[in-house]
Amino acid sequence: MTVDKQTTSEPDVENKAGQPARARRRLSVVLGFDRFSGLYVWAVLILIFSLWVPDLFDTANNARIIAGSQAITAMVAMGLIVPVACGAFDLSIAGTLGVSVCTVIWFQANHYGWFLGVIVALLVGLVVGLVNSLIVVRLHVDSFIGTLGMSSILLAGTEWITGGGQIANGVSPAFTGIGQNQILGLPLPVFYMIALAIILWWLLEYTPVGRYLYGIGGNPQAARLAGIRVGRITTGAFLLSGLVAAFSGVILAAQLGSASPDVGGPFLLPAFSAVFLGATQVFPGRVNVPGTLIAIFLLATGVKGLQLAGAPAYINDLFNGAALIIAVALAARAYASQRKA
Amino acid sequence: MTAALTVSGMSKSFAGPRVLDGVSLSIEPGEIRALVGENGSGKSTLIKILAGFHLPDEGSAEVNGQPLHLGDGAASEALGLRFVHQDLGLVNNLDTVDNLALGVGYSSFRGGIRWRQERKQARKALAELGYHFDVRRTVDRLAMSERTAVAVARAMGPRQTAPRVLILDEPTANLPAAEAERLFALAKRVADSGVAVVFVSHHFDEVFGLAQSVTVLRDGKHVITRRVAGLTEDGLIELVIGRQLEQVEHDAKAAERQAVVLEAEGLGCAVLDNVDFSVHAGEIVGVAGITGSGRDEVARALFGGLDRTGEVKINGGAVPPLRPDKAMGMGMGLVPAERHANAAFMASTLRENITVVRPGLHWRGGILRKSPERADVAKWLERLDVRPRKPEFAMADLSGGNQQKVVLARWLRLEPKVLVLDEPTQGVDVGAKSDIHKLVDEAAAQGTAVLVVSTDHEELVRLCHRVLVFRRGRIADEISGGRMDHDVITAATIGRDQAGAA
Repeated sequence: MTVDKQTTSEPDVENKAGQPARARRRLSVVLGFDRFSGLYVWAVLILIFSLWVPDLFDTANNARIIAGSQAITAMVAMGLIVPVACGAFDLSIAGTLGVSVCTVIWFQANHYGWFLGVIVALLVGLVVGLVNSLIVVRLHVDSFIGTLGMSSILLAGTEWITGGGQIANGVSPAFTGIGQNQILGLPLPVFYMIALAIILWWLLEYTPVGRYLYGIGGNPQAARLAGIRVGRITTGAFLLSGLVAAFSGVILAAQLGSASPDVGGPFLLPAFSAVFLGATQVFPGRVNVPGTLIAIFLLATGVKGLQLAGAPAYINDLFNGAALIIAVALAARAYASQRKA
Repeated sequence: MTAALTVSGMSKSFAGPRVLDGVSLSIEPGEIRALVGENGSGKSTLIKILAGFHLPDEGSAEVNGQPLHLGDGAASEALGLRFVHQDLGLVNNLDTVDNLALGVGYSSFRGGIRWRQERKQARKALAELGYHFDVRRTVDRLAMSERTAVAVARAMGPRQTAPRVLILDEPTANLPAAEAERLFALAKRVADSGVAVVFVSHHFDEVFGLAQSVTVLRDGKHVITRRVAGLTEDGLIELVIGRQLEQVEHDAKAAERQAVVLEAEGLGCAVLDNVDFSVHAGEIVGVAGITGSGRDEVARALFGGLDRTGEVKINGGAVPPLRPDKAMGMGMGLVPAERHANAAFMASTLRENITVVRPGLHWRGGILRKSPERADVAKWLERLDVRPRKPEFAMADLSGGNQQKVVLARWLRLEPKVLVLDEPTQGVDVGAKSDIHKLVDEAAAQGTAVLVVSTDHEELVRLCHRVLVFRRGRIADEISGGRMDHDVITAATIGRDQAGAA
């Protein structure tokens, strides 16, 4: 038995890492660079912009604007985490958001009342998720392709609902209150975002379903042979991302008080950027809720600061696109180093 | 007559022991030669040297009297050496015509492919081998022997030089018996055209039914080359394993018979053909067999990883096919072969890897309680002596043996009624291997019915009360008691099929 113990030696990590490397690593662990680098970058950004454009950036009002405007993106991104955790893309989230906005406004413009509109919009989100899951799970279409097709179909849906133009008539003030009222000086959507974050964080980190999702994302074949019902869990993931996107759409409609066919599109890229950048934070190597939130506000602060400093309007798209590429590259590196270790 | 192929003093080592040690042989045109030997005897290294994959340390080869430039695949082909590797190298979603053109191009191409002409040529090439099927069907819709025919037709197809030697590497490994017969006819046609045929096989009935001569390799050395006529099967087995088969006084572990827990009735899956067996509580039953015997499918077919026919019962209750979740719920656990692909979550922690089956055990008040979970996992890591004993380490940080222990812990934690182990010590160091064997013994001692599928026959002898030997999809032998011996199992896996016509 003693011989056995010698042959099963300590793992490579312990042996390979030299003394200086280990010391450096320990320091970075204490400071949380490996898990919370985003928070440091965020602090640096806030500092830079506060010094650069103090009168515009460094105000409570600006912080409120960033929080309010990013609440919707954050909710869409958090819904996206669920399918991405189990290895499936959902490119149709922005389309679902758009359809949801148009549905809930159309119901009011046609005097069916906002409450019914909200219910139908949420149901539409679930139906989209169900169809996505049938395409991916039953028809074995790659999720990237399947949901890309779905997003175009949903765009057609928004054009059909709105007749190609803007709808803004008959919107109830009780409804817009859902998106525009404030508590403690913060717009309500910030609170929805926090509530959703808590629910999804719980789901992913503190329930068996979360384990199954990450298991499927890590190795679907191993997951199946560990008795996990891969098809069923994947279906649930799409249903949830559809529902969350639809809910985000309802809140966005209340914020805007109107609907137009192109309302969803701009949310897709920032959501993806945040999810993948978030995968480098808090629990490196896996998409997660707190990491995604850090990423959202990091990106938004950067964009807003640059805008206030006089950068042109296209900085937004530029920043988000670059962030997505960098985020995925970083996530790939984190994953590779984890596998190598 | 000039020999079709001559190999002289061929040696090769990969960082250490010689896997090929001064092998010389010679084959005449039109001769069918079987190349036999245990796993690791150097057969595939020799073939890979001839194909130009490996450069030998020493030695030379001649094809039809001309020296072969070693280490160059194009040179091998230019001299007329043709290969059909075990996996055939076909593209499944292309049809026969396209597969025949892979690597050599379309012969009718003059500014455009003349499909009609290509199809005619493909049909002709297959007809010469005795096959007639729609050449426009994609390969995945062909029978296994038809696929082999496509691969042979491609190997024999038009090149700058005529084929001199056709080398088939385990061509029948995945072939049902009836289809193997067709392949023999094909090999004979090729040989009749004056081409030397070399085939690697573990099926001794093929050696006797097809080959005129046989070359035996053992531990990288050439043992003998002789005519098949006058050789007995026992004689060949002794040549392969290097010692006489004797009645060994090595009693298998005797189990006191308890109730039957696992029953398979009429189990069918790929090559598995209507197999019946059962495993009692506290019993460890082994499954042995060469590749293609059905051995590799048994475990996944039982658990639901592969589709199957027939009944699988646990304590009398039927387990539905293709439902690993149901199998698990009824008390079955599977440690699958090929840990990386089938069992390990490399980026996840040891804790998550172990509790991924039934994480809900620590679910209290709507929350997975992580600290009891961690304590539970730490207990298992200690019991299995996993190094390091750190529940939050990533699976990828562990050595192969420790990873395998983690996968085993995953199932032991559930105290399964039936534990199915597929190659449980594959790629595992010696120390971890003996630890794993002890754990399997302990599980059985506590009443778990254990089925161990393994190509490591020493392991089966070490662990099992009895061993089922699979050949061509059926149970050909059952070894227990005084016959329990490594060589007896090996001989049984490659022996003549009693029911087969040879």
